[in-house]
Amino acid sequence: MKITHLVTKILICVIAITVLALTLRGIKGTPIESNINDPIWKDEGPLELSPDRGRFALMYSFVENKSLQFSLPIARFAAPDVAYSNGQYVSLFAPAVSFIVAPGYLIGKLFGLGQVGAFAINALFAFINMLLIWAISRKIGASRTAAIVASFAFLFATPAFAYAVTLYQHHLTTFLLLLSIYVLLKTDRLWSSAVVFFCAALSIPVDNPNAVFMLPVSLWALSRLVSVLKTKTQLKITVKSLGILTAVGGIIPLVLFLSFNQISHGDPFKLSGTLPAAKVIDTKGEPVRTPVVTEETTLTPETKKKTATGFFKSRNLVNGFYIHSISPDRGTIVFAPLMLIGFFGLIYRKKAHRTVTMVLLASIGFIVLLYSMWGDPWGGWAFGSRYLIPAYALAAILLSLALDRFSKKIIPFLFVLVVLIYSISVNTLGAITSNRNPPEVEAIALQEITNRIEPVSFDRNLEFLQDNRSKSYVYQEYFSDTLLATEYYVIVLMLTLSVPVIGFFYMFFTRKIPTI
Amino acid sequence: MKLPTLNINFTINRKPQQRVSKFIVKYTPIIVIVVLSAISIIAFASNYQNGLGLSYNDARSHLNIGRRVVEGLKPGLAQIGSVWLPLPHLLMVPTIWNDFFWHTGLSGAIQSMVSFVATGLLIYLYLKKIGVNWIGRVFGVIVFAANLNILYLQSTAMTELLLIAMMTAGCYYLLLWQQKDNVVDIIKAAFFIMLSTLIRYDGWFLFLFAGLLIIFQTLRKKGYKTTEGTIILYSTLAGVGIFLWFVWNALIFKDPLYFAFGPFSAHAQQEQLEAAGVLATKSDILLSIKVYLYALLYNSYTFTALVGAVGAIVIWFDKKITTNVKIITLSLIAPLIFNIIALYLGHSVLFIQGISGDTWFNVRYGVMVLPSIAIFTGYLVGRLKGLRWAVIALIAFTTYFAFANSDAVTIDDATVGSSQKNVTEVSGWLRDNAADKEGFVLISAASHDAIVFSSGLPMKKFIHEGTGAYWESATVSPDRWARWIIMRTNDNNDLSWRFVSVSGALDRYTLVSSYPFADIYELKPEYLPELNTTPVFGKQK
Repeated sequence: MKITHLVTKILICVIAITVLALTLRGIKGTPIESNINDPIWKDEGPLELSPDRGRFALMYSFVENKSLQFSLPIARFAAPDVAYSNGQYVSLFAPAVSFIVAPGYLIGKLFGLGQVGAFAINALFAFINMLLIWAISRKIGASRTAAIVASFAFLFATPAFAYAVTLYQHHLTTFLLLLSIYVLLKTDRLWSSAVVFFCAALSIPVDNPNAVFMLPVSLWALSRLVSVLKTKTQLKITVKSLGILTAVGGIIPLVLFLSFNQISHGDPFKLSGTLPAAKVIDTKGEPVRTPVVTEETTLTPETKKKTATGFFKSRNLVNGFYIHSISPDRGTIVFAPLMLIGFFGLIYRKKAHRTVTMVLLASIGFIVLLYSMWGDPWGGWAFGSRYLIPAYALAAILLSLALDRFSKKIIPFLFVLVVLIYSISVNTLGAITSNRNPPEVEAIALQEITNRIEPVSFDRNLEFLQDNRSKSYVYQEYFSDTLLATEYYVIVLMLTLSVPVIGFFYMFFTRKIPTI
Repeated sequence: MKLPTLNINFTINRKPQQRVSKFIVKYTPIIVIVVLSAISIIAFASNYQNGLGLSYNDARSHLNIGRRVVEGLKPGLAQIGSVWLPLPHLLMVPTIWNDFFWHTGLSGAIQSMVSFVATGLLIYLYLKKIGVNWIGRVFGVIVFAANLNILYLQSTAMTELLLIAMMTAGCYYLLLWQQKDNVVDIIKAAFFIMLSTLIRYDGWFLFLFAGLLIIFQTLRKKGYKTTEGTIILYSTLAGVGIFLWFVWNALIFKDPLYFAFGPFSAHAQQEQLEAAGVLATKSDILLSIKVYLYALLYNSYTFTALVGAVGAIVIWFDKKITTNVKIITLSLIAPLIFNIIALYLGHSVLFIQGISGDTWFNVRYGVMVLPSIAIFTGYLVGRLKGLRWAVIALIAFTTYFAFANSDAVTIDDATVGSSQKNVTEVSGWLRDNAADKEGFVLISAASHDAIVFSSGLPMKKFIHEGTGAYWESATVSPDRWARWIIMRTNDNNDLSWRFVSVSGALDRYTLVSSYPFADIYELKPEYLPELNTTPVFGKQK
């Protein structure tokens, strides 16, 4: 490897890590039970929505209280997304994320930054995802620069950015998906199948629907265990019998998951999400089963989500497709239009990579379809379409192939450049501010309470920024006295844009033929 | 260190497998017929058992029309009427005389079931003719058949499946005509299009649309003279049904346009809806497109329709398909264009829950494009080599959830939408109180055919608009002819009320019961001696 390549790679990684560090949300200190329900940790702070609070609550309870059942303050903190089972409050979310970020919390706590430490683990996975996209793009024939631009595009030009600096399951899901694809591309040795089965099994306690999304890549891994050779007269079938042992890879996470369920709520086969939810906890600490419609519950972003979830319906597809594609509050065309260009990559795919492109398309399809059939395609209050983050990662791989072609002529080049800059600008705005954007349908109800027009798209984040607010830990801790939030945004944006824009210009001016 | 892989090797002789494959490919049309027939029977039995087969108000009316041809106070072909085109009712005649076939709805469902199987086969053949491989062909059939809306409608006495089959057959023979340039094929196409013109007005549009395609293609290839001959040949046969319909209306109702502007026409209904302010699509092309597309998407599970749309576009860039074939495949989108135009002109009404208030109405019109979607999807799957299995898996995934959730918008349309009419109470009263007693029931079939059907009473027990002298006499002197009157009090749209309320005889009746859709009046006992209880007019003309 040329030294310049190595230096460039290191520089790019440093820039990516710096951007993530500059935008990582948080405040100084580590929450304790007596202050965890203060607004500075919740709505006004880094744990602004119930999905991140719920996961943080489980991690906190496990680490600090050595218990999978929540104490009352923790239960109140996690509400309305907290389950009530056998007289105790337990997590409503799949548990893996909470356990995986625990080391970050413990390390951060040593420096008085427990919450920031926990979030940093999520950001670390986001960074690894970027590297995996980079590597996979190279493996399927994208040029070096296209692979870099595409990997940056995933992390910083989609809502993946806003969810890299908080505590959600999406980057861990994406990591498992990408890692599986990467190892299958890397080698056809048996251990690669074992890794995939491990990832597939681990993905279930990360987020239960992952079982569906991991299906195409799991089938690919399974197909590696059997080979069929066709001759004119015979079919020669070879089964790698040792391959059966690769299934062991999947057993460990599943056993741990079942054990968690047993300890948490007494039934190994009952998923946390199917437990009865305690949306409101009364002053005595008892769950209120029927939520009272008050201003508070209306204003609590997650309330609506819980009433709309629970099953997948093909009837929801029309609305789901609309929400994920063109709606102003979540649409890909608004928040991550660059990823749509990725579909051109299907045209430029190489025959040798037929299987991987089929797996990419099938996985993207499963993700989009499943979350379009979901009763709450908005993902509650959120920035962009958070459910599509794994799909954006896969689309970014295809994007790398498209970028090689689009960088060759001036018109497509300029078009992609504009879309790239727009996408990064929008998502940097989201990352640096907040994910508390209501779905359009809820904003209408909200308007009646707040008596103002509620923005639902990234204009809400712009408003937040113009109020001189940012949830970035670095900004709040070090720069809030010297820089306006908007100035901070511009600095971060310039840094974020530097790699993909320079890279894309480089592609245009060198116009290299893609190398494999 | 490299671990030993401990491979297990075995070899299979391909000859038997190749023989089986050859057999399957060769006999796929027969397999399609057998499998779809089995599915059709199971779907009918299932919908009959759960009581859904007769949920559509229109299904019961269709069955009654067929029944009145063979049974009633004035049976005969004239009972075909003018509200609906005649073919579905004529096809019922051989079986509708039987009470079982009438009351199970089987008399009307049989034609839908046969049409379901025929359409599946036509999709397979269409795809074969445009060079789609076996997987694409079979997948096209699966897309069509694995749809709860299709499976439901094929279990009912509704006209959609029959129309779909005739239109698809017409399009199929148009394709053959383009490929083989054989005059017999255009005659066959004209024949099936003619049949479609006798089922629904969608067929009339196909008649025109196909005519334009034929003119365009023949002009392009053979010049004016041949075009003239071809279009005359085509329109003579394809248009004969329309011509006969005009003649029929002129003969029976003394007005060739009676079906279009008569008091029971769709036009009259649309005028009422417009007056009520619910014909929102009229003169609004964007809303018309939106409403129909929603109906289409709901009926096709959305994703399949999107894949089909991609297929419809890709076909135009396929170098293996000739321009002639590309142009003639446009006939497949005729139902889409027709329905949008009909909504825009206000000739059709379609309610989508969430867009047109909180109800469904005629959402089943969306299924008309399903065979085309199936063909385009099958084509795409056949052409997509590398990504074929991904597309198949994704459609299978969506279909799985559709079945798991019993997602059939047509069933909602039939059971909770404006197309349903739960007349159980009023028909139950009739069955309990009028079945064993002498006397006729005066009722407007235009308003209450569902009650007539659901009561289970013989058709000859009812005096309705189609009973000639009985109706004329009973509406002037109801107390002499009708022991019971079923009507909506104070609603002049109900013809029974319109006439009886001014006959001066209403005070001779007691209002015995009121229900959501109708009230029941019974003649007071003191007037019973003067009541006619037997048919006296003999055979009326």
